[in-house]
Amino acid sequence: MKHLTKIGTSLLIAGIFLGTQTASAQDDDTLNMALSVDPDGLDPHRTTAASTFQITNNIFDTLVKVTPEGELTEGLATDWEISEDGLTITFNLRDDVEFHNGEAFSADDVLYSFERLKADESPRANDFANITEINVIDDYTIEFVTENLNASLASDFAYPWTAIVLEENEEELRNSPIGTGAYALEAWVPQQNLTLTKNENYFDEVHIDTVEFTMMPDATARTTAMLSGDLDIVGVSGDLVSQFEGNDSFQIIENQSNAVQLMAMNLGNEFLSVPEVREAINLAVDKDLLIESVFWGYGEKIGSHYPPVLLGYEDHSEAYAFNQEEAVAVLEEAGFEAADITLDMYLPSDYQSYVDAGQIIADSLENIGINVNIEVVEWSVWLSDIYTGRDYDLTVVGHTGRLDPYVLLARYHSESSENYFNYNNERIDELLTDVQTELDEDVRYEMFSEIQDTLAEEVPALYIQSPIGLSVTQANVRGYESYPIDIIELKNIYFE
Amino acid sequence: MRFILSRLLSGVAVIFVVSFITFIILMMIPGDPALLSLGTEATPENVEALRDAMGFNEPWYVQFLEWFTSFISGDLGRSYLYGEEISTLILQRVPVTVSVALLSLLIATPIALFIGVIAALYQNKLPDVLARTLMQIGDAMPSFWLALLLLVYVAAGSSLFPISGFTPISEGFIDSILSILLPSFVLSLGLMGTMIRIVRSSMLIALKEDYMLLAKMNGISKFKTIVKYPLRSAIIAPLTIIGMQMAGLLSGVILVENIFSLPGLGRLLLVAVQQRDLFLLQGIVVVIVSTVVIINMITDILYRLANPTMRIGGRDE
Repeated sequence: MKHLTKIGTSLLIAGIFLGTQTASAQDDDTLNMALSVDPDGLDPHRTTAASTFQITNNIFDTLVKVTPEGELTEGLATDWEISEDGLTITFNLRDDVEFHNGEAFSADDVLYSFERLKADESPRANDFANITEINVIDDYTIEFVTENLNASLASDFAYPWTAIVLEENEEELRNSPIGTGAYALEAWVPQQNLTLTKNENYFDEVHIDTVEFTMMPDATARTTAMLSGDLDIVGVSGDLVSQFEGNDSFQIIENQSNAVQLMAMNLGNEFLSVPEVREAINLAVDKDLLIESVFWGYGEKIGSHYPPVLLGYEDHSEAYAFNQEEAVAVLEEAGFEAADITLDMYLPSDYQSYVDAGQIIADSLENIGINVNIEVVEWSVWLSDIYTGRDYDLTVVGHTGRLDPYVLLARYHSESSENYFNYNNERIDELLTDVQTELDEDVRYEMFSEIQDTLAEEVPALYIQSPIGLSVTQANVRGYESYPIDIIELKNIYFE
Repeated sequence: MRFILSRLLSGVAVIFVVSFITFIILMMIPGDPALLSLGTEATPENVEALRDAMGFNEPWYVQFLEWFTSFISGDLGRSYLYGEEISTLILQRVPVTVSVALLSLLIATPIALFIGVIAALYQNKLPDVLARTLMQIGDAMPSFWLALLLLVYVAAGSSLFPISGFTPISEGFIDSILSILLPSFVLSLGLMGTMIRIVRSSMLIALKEDYMLLAKMNGISKFKTIVKYPLRSAIIAPLTIIGMQMAGLLSGVILVENIFSLPGLGRLLLVAVQQRDLFLLQGIVVVIVSTVVIINMITDILYRLANPTMRIGGRDE
């Protein structure tokens, strides 16, 4: 009993102490955000993680920027010019920019950054292999010479991985990066918090002084913190958004993303190489039900590898509409007995929604008699064995969107290293080669439309949906916009 | 002394063997750190170049020896993932995990002792039944569920507890304790079940010993006897399992650290595995193994102090 009294007394004392403290009032100069995934280092040239770019994009600048509508606008470059043959692009740079350490920004930094981006160990080396020459004309003028014509050349300089870095910072880019961006890194304790402070010398308006990111891996913890006012902006999934609906203290922002989620099929498999089998698989799955049950309805149904928000979208969402009887008939007509078909489905454990979607698809396929073995694998194994090794029959995954449809579709070229479908269609190869050099926009979009039609018909994948991203902000947050490339522009955000 | 020395030597051997095995396992499990870093954009040339830059193209024994020699000289290397010194990353997290583990032990031990002793004294009567029910609950309740409940209904409902994150002791003792109280409570509940059971059974055995009868015959009051003899052996019992449970605590810690967003060793370990940050993982494993080895050593010594008959062969310095 003595024990208990002691504990009781100490709790009481603790309570008295705490009673004197009041909850800190909301600070107008600090924006509080949560991160569900820790950045994998802050080196923009050595990562592919969208969550990392959401931070680095505010520390670094790119030559070209994108508006929420997807148009290109000035960044570190005030304007640019493409030569008549379309092979050379010349940028005029701002002359009033400083890095966070006071170092002046010039064309040499651009040269250094792009050489680093093109280095062998860079994940983007391939994307920029087309640039054969980079010439510094003077301190504030630089030109890029390309080997093959690329109709979407300027947009290549807007992605967050084309960030301009400082050479003397190379050794520390991963943990204490120095950029020219609207915010400078103040502190980063991995898995704990990351603080950005306003760059007072920034060439554009920046509203909020401090942005504090707290790492919160658990979704319930994030929504709870949002509800209690500890956070100003948070991304939520469809199942948790209902907690904020109808509450005036919050704004819910829907963002139709340009990502594509699909179930890939390996055409190297003897059954999946037959178009009728793939057709039957498409017929067997109720996509509406899938989107409703796995993504809580927050998604736009698709029928080809093309998000509805991208210019030139063709609606194939009703192709092979759900009809399991027809699926069985198609299989029988092609001479297959469903029960003879057994497929191995691999699902990435890091992405719960893909695992859930895979299980529902597997159920649907078992309904028409196809046997499916599910194996859940770690993301690292997925990358090495499934994606690169192409050792699978079925897998569910998402592909992030791009500004130019070519980059999105290039993986369907029979010789692409990213063609994990093992898809092979001569006409598609031809179109993908020609579209790169075609300068007439109308003709290019006709080509994209033909590729979409072919993919929708031959279905090397079960195209599921283009997801709708959901964010919740406190009612007084303004200027939080979504962009066609996965970035957040913190400088535009302010409190009302 | 000889006992302590031999425990020390075997401890070092355990650390070496475990770090060697971890290294080998990491080499063998599928998943390529270079590929992970490059993602779905990688070309085979990219992967090769990055593997080279990361030093993964050397034979495994060269890599292990390089790691081990720098480890001996106190250098754990740099994390590939964060670009930060591994020792810095670990040191940032040790206070979090250690405070959570200690606080949960501090909560669990007195409660378990109290309940266990009472249960044994009133065997098969109401207090015993209640205690056993509590044990069942402690064992059966999924800790992630309890953690979520506490988060949603306790942390969010009151301004006492922060919803996420860790407050270091330097920013106020009480704030610091409050920031880990809920996660520690979740962990302590998991510990309590086993502890109560062990205290109760060792107490029961001790109560049936001949000396109890002897004490009664000598007219010593029951309370005095209990405090003097069986209680002492009942205290030893949880001491042994504290050592063992420390290792078990770490797995529970990963879970509560995730839910309560505590930046502890458990989460660092998880990320190191997922991202295949080989040297980071090596570093954490070695630190954890060393901790468990040291704690076991201390419990061994305490054990001998608490119960002289445990001293090996009966002779002692």
